[in-house]
Amino acid sequence: MKKIIALALAAVMALSMVACGGSSKEETSMLETQPEKIVVLGQSSSEANMNILRDQLTKAGFDVELNTQPDYASWTAQKEAGNFDIALSGWTTVTGNVDYAVRGVYHSTGDYNYSPIIDTKVDELIDKGASETAAASVATYTELENYMITENAYILPLYASMKMQAYNNSLLKAESVFQPKSRPGRWEMYDYVDAANNDTRALTLTQASATPSTLDPIQANDGTMNTLSGNMYIKIINLSDDDEIMTDSSLSHSYAIAEGNSEYYFLLRDDVNFAKVENGEVVDTGVLVAADDVVFSLERASNKNSVATHKTYTLHNHMQSIEIVTDLSELEAKLDSDTGATLLETLNKGVEVPVAALTAVDEEVDNAAGTYQVVKVTTTEPFPQVLNYLAHQSAGILHKEQVESYNSKFTVESYDPTKDVCYGDFAAIKGGDTSMLWCSGPYQFVKVDDYGIDFVKNPGYMPEDEEFNPNIKTIYMKFIKDTSAATSAFRAGEVDLLGSVSATDVDVVEADSKFTVMKRDSNGVTYAFFNLTEGSKFNDVDLRKAVMYAINQEDFVAYNNGYVMPVYSTVGTLVNTGNAHVHDLVKSNEHLAAYQAK
Amino acid sequence: MANKEMTKEMAQKQALYQKKVNKRKLSGSLEYTTARLGWQVTLALGVYFLFNALTKGGVWFAVAGVYLAGFALDFIATQRIIKEVTGDAGEISATTRKLGWLMLPFVFVGDFFMFIAGAMLIKKEKNMEYQLSVYSLLVTIFILVVSALNLFKEYVADTFWLGMGLYGLYAVLNLVIMSAVNKYTFGKKPDKKFLPYAYICIAGLALGNVFSFLLGIIALGKYYNKNEEVSVEWIDVIRRLFRNYMSCIGMFIVIFLLSVSIASVLTFDYDIAISNNFSVRLAAPSLMYPFGCDQFGRCVFTRIIFGARISLLVGMISTLAPCIVGGMLGAVAAYYGGKVDNIIMRILDVLNAVPSILLAIAVIAAFGTSTTNLILALSIGGIPGYARTMRAQVMGVANQEFVEAAKACGAKDGTIIFRHIIPNSLAPIIVRITMGMGSAVLSTSSLSYLGIGVEAHVPEWGNILKAGSTFLETNPYIAIFPGLAIIIIVLAFNYFGDGLRDALDPKLK
Repeated sequence: MKKIIALALAAVMALSMVACGGSSKEETSMLETQPEKIVVLGQSSSEANMNILRDQLTKAGFDVELNTQPDYASWTAQKEAGNFDIALSGWTTVTGNVDYAVRGVYHSTGDYNYSPIIDTKVDELIDKGASETAAASVATYTELENYMITENAYILPLYASMKMQAYNNSLLKAESVFQPKSRPGRWEMYDYVDAANNDTRALTLTQASATPSTLDPIQANDGTMNTLSGNMYIKIINLSDDDEIMTDSSLSHSYAIAEGNSEYYFLLRDDVNFAKVENGEVVDTGVLVAADDVVFSLERASNKNSVATHKTYTLHNHMQSIEIVTDLSELEAKLDSDTGATLLETLNKGVEVPVAALTAVDEEVDNAAGTYQVVKVTTTEPFPQVLNYLAHQSAGILHKEQVESYNSKFTVESYDPTKDVCYGDFAAIKGGDTSMLWCSGPYQFVKVDDYGIDFVKNPGYMPEDEEFNPNIKTIYMKFIKDTSAATSAFRAGEVDLLGSVSATDVDVVEADSKFTVMKRDSNGVTYAFFNLTEGSKFNDVDLRKAVMYAINQEDFVAYNNGYVMPVYSTVGTLVNTGNAHVHDLVKSNEHLAAYQAK
Repeated sequence: MANKEMTKEMAQKQALYQKKVNKRKLSGSLEYTTARLGWQVTLALGVYFLFNALTKGGVWFAVAGVYLAGFALDFIATQRIIKEVTGDAGEISATTRKLGWLMLPFVFVGDFFMFIAGAMLIKKEKNMEYQLSVYSLLVTIFILVVSALNLFKEYVADTFWLGMGLYGLYAVLNLVIMSAVNKYTFGKKPDKKFLPYAYICIAGLALGNVFSFLLGIIALGKYYNKNEEVSVEWIDVIRRLFRNYMSCIGMFIVIFLLSVSIASVLTFDYDIAISNNFSVRLAAPSLMYPFGCDQFGRCVFTRIIFGARISLLVGMISTLAPCIVGGMLGAVAAYYGGKVDNIIMRILDVLNAVPSILLAIAVIAAFGTSTTNLILALSIGGIPGYARTMRAQVMGVANQEFVEAAKACGAKDGTIIFRHIIPNSLAPIIVRITMGMGSAVLSTSSLSYLGIGVEAHVPEWGNILKAGSTFLETNPYIAIFPGLAIIIIVLAFNYFGDGLRDALDPKLK
């Protein structure tokens, strides 16, 4: 009996196996290589990207080790310690122009050239592209891309994100919610469906970082403070949603470019005042945001030594001088580079009362009477892209005396971040010095704690009937570190507008008719850079190419439900270079073998 | 009238008494306990599969059909057992026992409850060796069944057929041992002919088959026991343990997971668990991917199987390590008392004051994420608990006469502690270990879920659960299955621990 059972059981098993059949994995023939060790550095928020990268590199014959860091600060520390071979990073061209997309990241003097890439040819091409007009520069930027990526594989392009933002449509008017491609959100435009809410209900937005690196525009240019600074300080020019130059909600009525593309004139408004916090309340200081503040702020931005940690110098180093124009004849004499009309004619198009007189004295300004202020920016060379930089948050206008009252207490050389408090020092502001900030933009920073920041509209920001006078009185920026937690908070109604919706959550959010998800292309590129410091084995081009060909961008697209796009470099979202990344394991294998043969 | 009421009351009492008698009879019947749980679980699963079939159709109808048929069979068998056990004969008829044979094959669709019930039903005389051999066979068959699911995949591991072949042979070997058990072990002492089988059984430990191992050492223990009239105490403990069906199930699950962690080396492909395949991203459960696929297109089923390895490894080491350290500290503290006790215990009190999960987070934050650090982190927090238990136990034992006797004979302190005191204080520690393993598995998963356990791509249950939590609304199966796995292993350890506590409790002898 027992034997029969045994046989029967064995037979059943054997039959079931044979019936289903099971084939072994197929192997493709490749050159013989040793597993090459590679350390991938990234933040835990980009865990998914790291996993895809790990998987692809493993399949290409690398021995991958992940170095996952919980946040940006620890990521930076690891990066600076050199504990990586490739590191995941992201780049968003917030100024909407190509020069910015390449200068900061690839130029040998770039603030965000972490590798660092030190290549004179790259520098030359970047400088060449900057001086050219948009149409002419395409060839240069294509050459740059070919040289940088195709020939040298200096960086690893992964994908270009789509910008996806969601808002509660039962709360906010659809026409009041904009989704700019590059610049931060336009807070002054938001408007409640129920107008009665505007004065009583705080609009809740969210951002990941609870510790903005600084609130001084020029001392940082990162996701922790761009949106905040962009809405706290007015600029002399702005970008539209599609990265066109516009004067909407800027300090200028109009602007003009003089023939030669080196001189830029801005006709300033006289209805924007600085705001400040007094006893916890936002008050109008009565101080006009005037030409001398513009000169001060822009000179500060273009001077490398104006602060100890100048993070946006490369954006502004093309400005040679910034002056107040008092001689009306200068505007009458010079011609507009576009139309050939006089500058005065061009500038007058933006105002109801024509310019009758110019003044350098704040008290004399009276636009209604025809007395205006004009600021002239001269660039070191013809450089039309300077307008994009002037629209960037780092060109925000600060109050001269207020900044100096802090920054004159120490010299740039002796600045000690642990002890000295400079203007915009976030730790000091959080510590209670809320009266430090004088805001020229639509919103005034009121106070911050561990959970969020309170903003109240600037009472001196343009007249009530003006289109760009902020509609909603208070805005609360809530800190939510985790994207999925932010999405949950949004869906629960704790957050009214969600700046970025992750690809995995889009469908769930869209399923609710209360929410509208806005999608558009963006200048956000996710890439990885190599460790190119001395002694790193990735100074070898074969090894870099082995990694580059191992990358399959389709996987990133698939993982993100098609809400991201393939990209070839940070240039790709701005200029159509025609390049596309190729995934080729055979080539990768050849390069790896070539490297190991050396 | 009064008389009538009296008889009515009497009849009621009589019925109540009869009910109690029947209940006692039934609870003493292993056939009844196993068969009852068998039909309950089979029915529940059958209804679940039927529900699945109604929404998804296809193969689920067949699965539901098989399970419901199994339920019908087992239910009929249970009813017959109840009738016959509580009936005049008081024992199960041969016809009913034959039903057991029909219940065995259900193991091939994954219903091991039916298998156990069947195996217990077919045989009238059952000793502990028989039960162990049944469980040992069951573990092997179950591994074969689970591994066989890989056949539905696009490809199998290179060593798959080797593994299946070896395990097939091992299953046959188990059958042979089973028949040997039937032949040789029903006496007071196992027959000499059983000895070679016993050694083979012990070797089964290499495959993680603890049941087989127990069978082997029990046979040897009985065989080499000099005094036949006195039973060996640890064998009695195991016998009492096997009286508790739930603890057997717990033990089976733990041992199955242990064995499958070892078997998966050959029969499962680690690539499927960690390699991304976006063509099957978020795929729903199917025969090819029994638990569906996660957002990277990795088979969740395969990940859970490989996850068992890490969970068990971390769970066991991070329970045993603090147990050894804590146990020794506790024993030393209790034996010497006074200052030694004070110093050791106060230091441990300080350690005890730090919440163990916070301590673990701190350790990992300081040394980085890796499996070794995870074990270290979880171990440190466990030391004070074991030390306290051991100390309390040793304090009781240290004053007993046999310790005095040992002292009087001039034994050294070390000898007294390790030879006399610790072995007599182990019972509560053993129970604590089994219970502790469940919570260690849970802590491992919690830390991974928080993103500070093992690396994100490593198939660890907490990691798998974390990956699934994002898709709880749209693709819940990715989170449900790892969640169930965690629940089941913790429950299994707890049931096993409960059973062990009862078995070790001298009052319940």
